[in-house]
Amino acid sequence: MPETRADNVLMQKVRDGDLAKMAVLFERHHRALFRYFQRLTGNREFSEDLVQDVYFRMLKYRHTYRDGNPFTSWMYQVARNAHLDGAQKRKGEAPLSEEPVREPATAEPDPSEILRRRQDLGLLRRALAALPVEKREVLVLSRFQNLKYEQIADILACDVGTVKVRVYRAIKALSQIFFELAGEKAS
Amino acid sequence: MTCDQVKEHIADYLAGALGRPEAEELDEHFARCAACKQETAALSETWEMLGLLEQEQPSAQLRPRFYQSLEAYRQGLESAAPAPARRRFFDWGWHGWAWSAALLAVGIAAGQWLGVRERGRADLAGLQDEVHHMRQLVTLSLLEQQSASERLRGVDYSGRVDQSDTQVLAALLQAVNHDPNVNVRLAAVDALRRFAASPSVKGKLDQSLNKQDSPLVQLALIDFLVDTRDKSAVRSLAALERSPTADKNVKEKALWGLSQLQ
Repeated sequence: MPETRADNVLMQKVRDGDLAKMAVLFERHHRALFRYFQRLTGNREFSEDLVQDVYFRMLKYRHTYRDGNPFTSWMYQVARNAHLDGAQKRKGEAPLSEEPVREPATAEPDPSEILRRRQDLGLLRRALAALPVEKREVLVLSRFQNLKYEQIADILACDVGTVKVRVYRAIKALSQIFFELAGEKAS
Repeated sequence: MTCDQVKEHIADYLAGALGRPEAEELDEHFARCAACKQETAALSETWEMLGLLEQEQPSAQLRPRFYQSLEAYRQGLESAAPAPARRRFFDWGWHGWAWSAALLAVGIAAGQWLGVRERGRADLAGLQDEVHHMRQLVTLSLLEQQSASERLRGVDYSGRVDQSDTQVLAALLQAVNHDPNVNVRLAAVDALRRFAASPSVKGKLDQSLNKQDSPLVQLALIDFLVDTRDKSAVRSLAALERSPTADKNVKEKALWGLSQLQ
C-alpha cells in the first residue's frame, strides 16, 4: 500500500476513535514537520513546540478529516495555521532568527573550494531568512518538503498555475538577495 | 515560446517536471535569448544550492513529549466520556433509596479506613500503567514504520515493555513471520526470548521455520527453539532436515536441534 494511502487510512482510524494510530503518523512525519518549521522560523525550540501543536490540533479537529482528503495536504494545512497562530503570539517577542553562519574557527588548511562553498551556504541561509514569509513558505514546501505543485496548490488553496508563479517569484527574490549579500561580502 | 512563457515554465524546469515538448521549446528559446538563458542558469544554481543546506533533526525530547501529550489526551477523553445511561432519578422506589443510604454509610466508613493507604498505591499503579502504555505505543508504532531502521528501533524498544504485553508479543511474532527485512526478523527472534515463557510463543515459531527464506533466520529460530526446549518443534525440524531445498547448514543445524529436543 503506498504510504500516502496508508496515511489516509491511519487518519481515518484516528478520526473514528483509534487515537493510538496517531503515534504511527507521528513517527512518519514529525521530522519533516520539524524541518518545515525550522526553515520557516529559524528557531529549533519554537519549531518543536509547533510540531507538538500540529499533532494536538490533528487530534482535536480529527472529525474534520474527510475520507479521500490526502493526509499530507491536510497535515500541512494544519501546520500552516499552527505557524500563523504561533507567529502571531510571538510577534514582537522574538524576530525570525538567522541561523548562525558557521565560519571556520581557525585558518586551518581548508581546501579553498570547501571554504567558498561553506561561505556561500551561510549567505544562502541568511538570504532565506531575509525572504518574506510567504515566499519562504512556497520554497520550503517545494524544495525541502518534496511536495508536488499539485499538493502545494491543495495546501495553499490556490491553483497549480499560481503555485508555479509563486515559486518562480520566490526563487528569483532569493537569488537577488543572495547575490546582493555575496556582492557585499566581496566588496 | 516568448520570454513571459519561459517564466511560467521555470518552476517545472527547476523541479525536473517539464514535459519533453516544453523542454525542447525552452532550449530553442535559450538559443535565441541570452537574457532568459542567463536568468534560468542563475535560478537553477540557487535552487541546487538550497538542496545542500543541512537538514536539522529534532531533539530527543520531542518524541517523549508527544507520547505524553497523546496519553494525556486519551485519558482526558476517557474521563470526559459520558457515564452509561442511568434510570431516572425518582424511579428507584423506597428500597432503592434504603439500600443506597446503607451502602453510602458503609462506604464512607470503609473509605476513611482504607482511603489513605490505598490512595498512594492507586496513584503509583496509575503511573506505572501510564508508563507501560506509552512504551507499548512507541514500540507498536515503530514496528509499523516503512523504514527498516525504524522497525529495528521498535524491536529494540520492545525490551522496555512488560513481558505480559500480548500486543507487543503479537507484533514481534508478526515481524518474525512477515517482515521483509532479514535484520528486523533476526532482531525480533532475539527480542522474543524475553517472551519465551508465554504460551502464545510455543508452537508459533516452529511454524515459521519452514516459511523463512533466509537461512540466517532459520538458524536463529532453531537456536531459540532448542534453548526454550520447545518440543512441539520436533516435527518442523524433521521436515526441514529432510527438505531438498533447505540450505545445507540449516539442515545440519536442524539435525542437531532434533538431537537436543528428542
